[in-house]
Amino acid sequence: MAAQKSYSLPSFMNSDSSLPWLLPLITMLIVFAIIPFFYNIYLSFHEFVPAKRALLFVGWDNWIRLFTDGVFWGSLKVSLYYTFMCLLIQLVLGMGIALLIDSDDPGFGIIRSILTLTLVIPPAIAGMIFLIMEDANYGLIPWLLKSVGLIGPEDTILADPTLALWGVMIVDIWQWTPFMVLILVAGLRSLPSEPFESAVIDGARPFQVFRRLTLPMLHKVIAVAILIRGIDLWRMVDYVFVLTSGGPGTATYTLSLYSWQRFTFVQWGYGATISLFSLIVILIVGNAFIHFAKVKW
Amino acid sequence: MIRKILAFSIALIFIFPIFFLITSSFKNNIDLFSLPPKLFLFDIDFSAYERVFGFSKLLKFDPSYSELYLTSRILDSLIVGIGSSSLTLIIGIYAGYYISRANFKYKNLLIMSILSARMMPLISIAIPLYFVYEKINLLDTYVGLILIHTFINLPLAVLLLKSFFDEVPKQIDENAFIDGASKIKILHKLIIPCAKGGIAVTFILSIIFSWTEFICALMIGQMKIKTIPIQASIMKTIPSWDMMAAFTTISIIPLFIMILMVRKHFVRGLTLGTVKE
Repeated sequence: MAAQKSYSLPSFMNSDSSLPWLLPLITMLIVFAIIPFFYNIYLSFHEFVPAKRALLFVGWDNWIRLFTDGVFWGSLKVSLYYTFMCLLIQLVLGMGIALLIDSDDPGFGIIRSILTLTLVIPPAIAGMIFLIMEDANYGLIPWLLKSVGLIGPEDTILADPTLALWGVMIVDIWQWTPFMVLILVAGLRSLPSEPFESAVIDGARPFQVFRRLTLPMLHKVIAVAILIRGIDLWRMVDYVFVLTSGGPGTATYTLSLYSWQRFTFVQWGYGATISLFSLIVILIVGNAFIHFAKVKW
Repeated sequence: MIRKILAFSIALIFIFPIFFLITSSFKNNIDLFSLPPKLFLFDIDFSAYERVFGFSKLLKFDPSYSELYLTSRILDSLIVGIGSSSLTLIIGIYAGYYISRANFKYKNLLIMSILSARMMPLISIAIPLYFVYEKINLLDTYVGLILIHTFINLPLAVLLLKSFFDEVPKQIDENAFIDGASKIKILHKLIIPCAKGGIAVTFILSIIFSWTEFICALMIGQMKIKTIPIQASIMKTIPSWDMMAAFTTISIIPLFIMILMVRKHFVRGLTLGTVKE
């Protein structure tokens, strides 16, 4: 599956200088990744001082503030909770649906096509659809929940401190579970059929086949899906921006949203510090994951 | 059979919000807010579309009638999407081909950097770039937004194109090289035609991800440039729901058409070329 080829003969490209081929790419990486990274470090030691209308050096102030700021810890918790819960739910649901629709029957091909549709909707627009559906007065979802008695007649979803995050997560789960389904189905369809046939002949129960054969053979596909989904969940900002703007209070601030919000409050240095923290975490975790899960490109 | 019914009901759940959005765009303001919701039986009403496109009641085209200049937002998204995808493709083809064919000392480091670029929270790029762009007058320009979207799509494009080039047998270009063709000519005349399907897929996926990108478009575009997701997110207040629905319906239908065109390679694109369908 991975495009790892063994180069028996030295390729004719090897004699060539790599510079002309890679220069545009490397320029882009330097200008849009390396420079912003160092600029972020610079900003994290500076802060805009309104009285002087200037960006002044403040030493470690932003970092001290970061680790003593309750809202920051809250948003870190929200980001972690959001990432892990969505990842878990999407993976389990995705695996279930993938096993269900893994078939050569043309009807299931149509279902796979339908499932791709949610993935191309801009997340901000997906958020708007659910904003209408979760509206306290006119929304379909609160109305349904009220009519079956799951929430009281006066309850809301997005204005409720405990439910609001789930109101956001439901959009993510709706939009990105198909992502897991499609990747896992692709993985399932590429598995050889012989081991499964002999397992059935040996009298293995379906759950045993799944545990002992399917899961280990899908290990690489699952790792890639977790990696890419995890990256996007960690940096998610669109849904909370549209649905709750971080509210009620600070209940649904994610790191990215809190960073953006500080930026708009002209706390440029502090906003950059939060985004830098979030960047460093994902770079370490992401690269460690690639290393330990042996994901290869 | 039970399996099929179950699978179709799951598909219905996933399609429902899209169906809800599209039908909402044809509802008048009474049906839009009625509970229980009128899912199928409602009076079809095109007034939201008339306002989005700027047609007045007499069906005379009048741009000022489109209160929010919504059609020009779609144009903004088109310019940024096509511009950035073209640039992405140009950079990605050369880099992807070289990474696919050559073995060089820092190859793993380069791939790691490309993946790390894909991991960056976009806000951590957008804040510093805001200040850089402010200094060089790129804020609120197409060029500025095209460049940043190019960067966002490059990891996808380079790795996906590499995986497509890997599928073109190496003998083709090595034989041509022995016959004396120049490397750049080999790429242009032989390899690109062989991989044109993959290149088209990369181009379409880049457009899609440029259309859906939010936070950079929000911060770099200010007054003049608003891409579709930004415009949609401002139309939050209840009186503009029907217009929001009409506007977003128009803007996601091209995305649906594009994705159904490349459906076979979509999984491969989402996983940056590692998982093939």
